[in-house]
Amino acid sequence: MNYSYFQVSEQSLEVEFPEQINVEENELIQDIARQLIDQKAIGVTGIIPAYHTLTVNYDFDLTSYQDLVDQIDEIILNANQDKKTGRSIIELPVCYNLEYGPDLQDVANYGKVSVEELIKLHTGTDYFIYMMGFLPGFAYMGSVPKQIAMPRLKVPRKVIAAGSVGVAGAQTGMYPVDSPGGWRLLGRTPIKLYDPSNPVLKYHSGDYVRFKAVDETEFKKIQVEDQKGDYQLKIIQEGGENNG
Amino acid sequence: MANFVKVIQPGLSTTVQDLGRPSHQIEGFPESGAMDKFSYKLANLLVNNHRNSASLEYVQVGPSLYFNCDSFIAITGGKVQATLNDRPIKQNEVVKVNSGSILKIGQMTSGNYGHLAFSNGGVITEPVLDSRSTTLRTNMGGLDGRALQTGDSVPIRDSVVMPSLQARKIAIEPEHIQTIHFVKGPHWQMFSEEAQQQFIEQEHQLSGQMDRMGYRLKGNKLPVPEKSLLSEGTVFGNVQITRDGSPIVLLADRQTTGGYPVIATIIRADLNRFVQMRSGEAFKFVETDMKSATQALVAQQKILNDTFENWYSNRYREPIGPIRRNAIKIAELIRANK
Repeated sequence: MNYSYFQVSEQSLEVEFPEQINVEENELIQDIARQLIDQKAIGVTGIIPAYHTLTVNYDFDLTSYQDLVDQIDEIILNANQDKKTGRSIIELPVCYNLEYGPDLQDVANYGKVSVEELIKLHTGTDYFIYMMGFLPGFAYMGSVPKQIAMPRLKVPRKVIAAGSVGVAGAQTGMYPVDSPGGWRLLGRTPIKLYDPSNPVLKYHSGDYVRFKAVDETEFKKIQVEDQKGDYQLKIIQEGGENNG
Repeated sequence: MANFVKVIQPGLSTTVQDLGRPSHQIEGFPESGAMDKFSYKLANLLVNNHRNSASLEYVQVGPSLYFNCDSFIAITGGKVQATLNDRPIKQNEVVKVNSGSILKIGQMTSGNYGHLAFSNGGVITEPVLDSRSTTLRTNMGGLDGRALQTGDSVPIRDSVVMPSLQARKIAIEPEHIQTIHFVKGPHWQMFSEEAQQQFIEQEHQLSGQMDRMGYRLKGNKLPVPEKSLLSEGTVFGNVQITRDGSPIVLLADRQTTGGYPVIATIIRADLNRFVQMRSGEAFKFVETDMKSATQALVAQQKILNDTFENWYSNRYREPIGPIRRNAIKIAELIRANK
């Protein structure tokens, strides 16, 4: 396994794997993170798994860079490479229009397709959640079909509305709360993705998300149901033996 | 009866903060917590609190508060004028507050962030995901996930007499900041030699875009690497370069991951000074190595530890309160110390 370490600050390090969006590689990163937590590794204060990196923050009164490097080497050496699990696909309704997705036309132009074809391409793929991050409830997912994988904006927007759905290169995702950000926006989901009074997330790394196009009328209807707590997200269980 | 301070004036953006929720970054929750950790820790040490006790962090303008119980308080951080029942009180020393008192913290003359700590455990709002820190952007923690408002009651504990606390104070010299030290970031090598040189040689200025998430810097734009990056985890003090070539320093409420290249990380010992710099102030970045960065942080922590040790070992010296003055054993100790 090809990887390296980088000390980011006095009390944080990063494990770096080859820079790629790759399900197996990411599953190993999730596995290291889980094991550091399960083992209650001494002095580890916070962990951030990402596509090809794992950031580990620690307390240098309790552990050291070298101690952690040794522990992580050990975990990687013993990692179980042949796991097979079923997939959970969460179906998320999205209304694609220029009001909710101001970059819809730009991304269609970038891909040299019509807006209808763009929507078809974006909803036609199941996206793997590689990591949670950026904001509470924000899932980094891939991979967007190459044709419509437009890079992020040069200057980030100061405010993006909660529920907005966008692409940034091969990545796609939803903004769970109002936030600044540089992703190209295609539409919006009526589902409340983050509730501070009940911060339980609806999806986790390792799950899949499938977008389903809905029109404005349906968007409003789902929004009302969701606010009342009556809307059930559709979750599809698919294939694979769970050796978990 | 519940003990609290009542908010008469909330200040500019006063929030409950402790050391944040680093263990929930894995789920995408910002770390949050105090911006100036030195001032935060000092305030807690002064009033004899645990290192993770929550205090009130205010921004440029402090709050006015009414106390419905006795307390000892400490004010640290940016320079402010404060009064207790219209009598001026000092920063960086313990002040006894009687029930019924009114504390007014005014406008800062330097710095951005200040801390107000209360004895006997600090602010005791309900923790959310293991922390009392407020994250305004996600409306989480503290008082309903928001800044203080007029009329709010902030829960604290009553403090019985702790005369030995009253002797506690520390002199903090204001520093004139001209340089900020950094270690090379994970993407330093991605930048051209020209960009690296410019980053070190040019003067950087604090722009007006500053909040608990991060500070944007002004200066000549840096040449940006062509290559687009996959998002990676972020660290307090990371200096990322946006697509238009402006540096942004990531701070307490930063996003847990980011996709812009990180050219540098400001060393922890300098971050407390950095967050207190104001819009328009200028500085230069100076490179250092991890060993020196670590030594600087250890030295800074030692100042706090030694100060505390000193207070602790002198806790029976004068001046002490009237109740303990009568205790024979303590009286003997005082005599022995003289």
